[in-house]
Amino acid sequence: MTRPIRSSVQITLASWKALFLREAVTRLAAGRAAWAWLLVEPLGYLIFIMTLFGFVYHKKVGGVDGAMFVVTGLLGFYFARNTFLRSMEAIHANGALFTYRQVKPIDTVLVRAALEGFLTLLSAILILAGASLFHYDVLPDDPLLVMATVFGLWLCGLGLGLILSAATKLVAELGKVVNILIIPLYFVSGVMIPASTIPQPYRDYLLFNPFLHGLEVLRGAYFSPFHAVPEASLGYVYGFALVAVFLGLSLHLRFSRQLVAE
Amino acid sequence: MIIVDDVHKRYMTSHGAGRWVLRSLNFTIAPKVNVGLVGRNGAGKSTLLRLIGGIDTPTKGHIERHCRLSWPMGYGGGLQGSLTGRQNAKFVCRIHGHDEDMQDRLDYIADFAGIGHYFDQPVKTYSSGMRSRLQFAMSMAFDFDVYISDEVTAAGDIAFTNKAAAAFKRVADHAGLIMVSHSEETLRQFCQAGIWLHDGSAYWFDDIEDALANYKESIGA
Repeated sequence: MTRPIRSSVQITLASWKALFLREAVTRLAAGRAAWAWLLVEPLGYLIFIMTLFGFVYHKKVGGVDGAMFVVTGLLGFYFARNTFLRSMEAIHANGALFTYRQVKPIDTVLVRAALEGFLTLLSAILILAGASLFHYDVLPDDPLLVMATVFGLWLCGLGLGLILSAATKLVAELGKVVNILIIPLYFVSGVMIPASTIPQPYRDYLLFNPFLHGLEVLRGAYFSPFHAVPEASLGYVYGFALVAVFLGLSLHLRFSRQLVAE
Repeated sequence: MIIVDDVHKRYMTSHGAGRWVLRSLNFTIAPKVNVGLVGRNGAGKSTLLRLIGGIDTPTKGHIERHCRLSWPMGYGGGLQGSLTGRQNAKFVCRIHGHDEDMQDRLDYIADFAGIGHYFDQPVKTYSSGMRSRLQFAMSMAFDFDVYISDEVTAAGDIAFTNKAAAAFKRVADHAGLIMVSHSEETLRQFCQAGIWLHDGSAYWFDDIEDALANYKESIGA
């Protein structure tokens, strides 16, 4: 039986599907109750932050319930952070698969970013549903803008993932630097504080960070009483994301040979 | 049909560009021709297989593949330890576009590998013989026009080696084969033509015996 030679698009789609299922299985089924960590990790952070700041916030932050303020910040941040942290490792983790020429490094990064976005969405829905059982008001006031912002944050994560996956493969030490920088990133992205509480001139500096823009816009859309700083812009988030995605794709194209090498 | 056109290959080292591993390779492998690759260790046999297999790209020149080509079998890679044999096999079926007849392929692989209930255990629990059985079974499960084999027939115990050789012979009869082996017997058994790699150059011989003779002369055996 002779089969027709498949087109490049067919091959790419087939390997995306195969990689997605494979990654999902490894992530959810390999190891002891691997799926449980999807919820345990964000919930752990939530409880930690809320106990830590519970005394400071006195129920309301920027006109918003303190708990919901932290929940939205953390989940929004996760859409970007989880995506780029996981996709950064994609090439390294899937090195054995480049034996099959159908699988390119870029495929593993894109698939991981997609899976991570999907899983973060899943855990966000579960956490919000759980919070609603405790009579929190979990429905966003401007759902469309919330979706657009979350997508923008994910896109930033994808762009950084593309850049960092190629960069850490070429310069292995970069991975360690990123892991050090991830902790301060929590604080300067406004997960726990509204940007309006950051004094000038530091606020202007921190507003180079697209995540801070994203979380401000996200909260402004989620809670109508919340006043985002006027500088916060969704356009900046998407601008950053597009530049990062473009830069990441060109790195993958330019160094395609080095990325496959053992 | 595989056309290798003026292919050069060198690797980057920490001190810049390394020496040329392969220089100015030109040859065409016609359909259904079985070719054996000979050369001393480090002559670039595996490198050439990787280039033909599309895993690596030439530094200069290009390779055209007008056929369905297997991945370099017996390579050691291509299996993920934390997944079961079945999950790994499913992955390979999917990237090769065998979604519809996946169950048939899986049955074939499970049957051929003959590793019993280990097929549903994580690959990291396998012995090296079981790994090669699974890898060999996976590569036999698809209909390629050309199979690339890197010392593959050496895998497994005697029973499996015989089974593998029989399957390999069947494949060699209806498809093309590009193989690296240090066993003259294996090369004679499966190949008609030969390529001798020496000092970065490739010499094509229509008869594998001539390639072997040149190779043996060069190493003084």
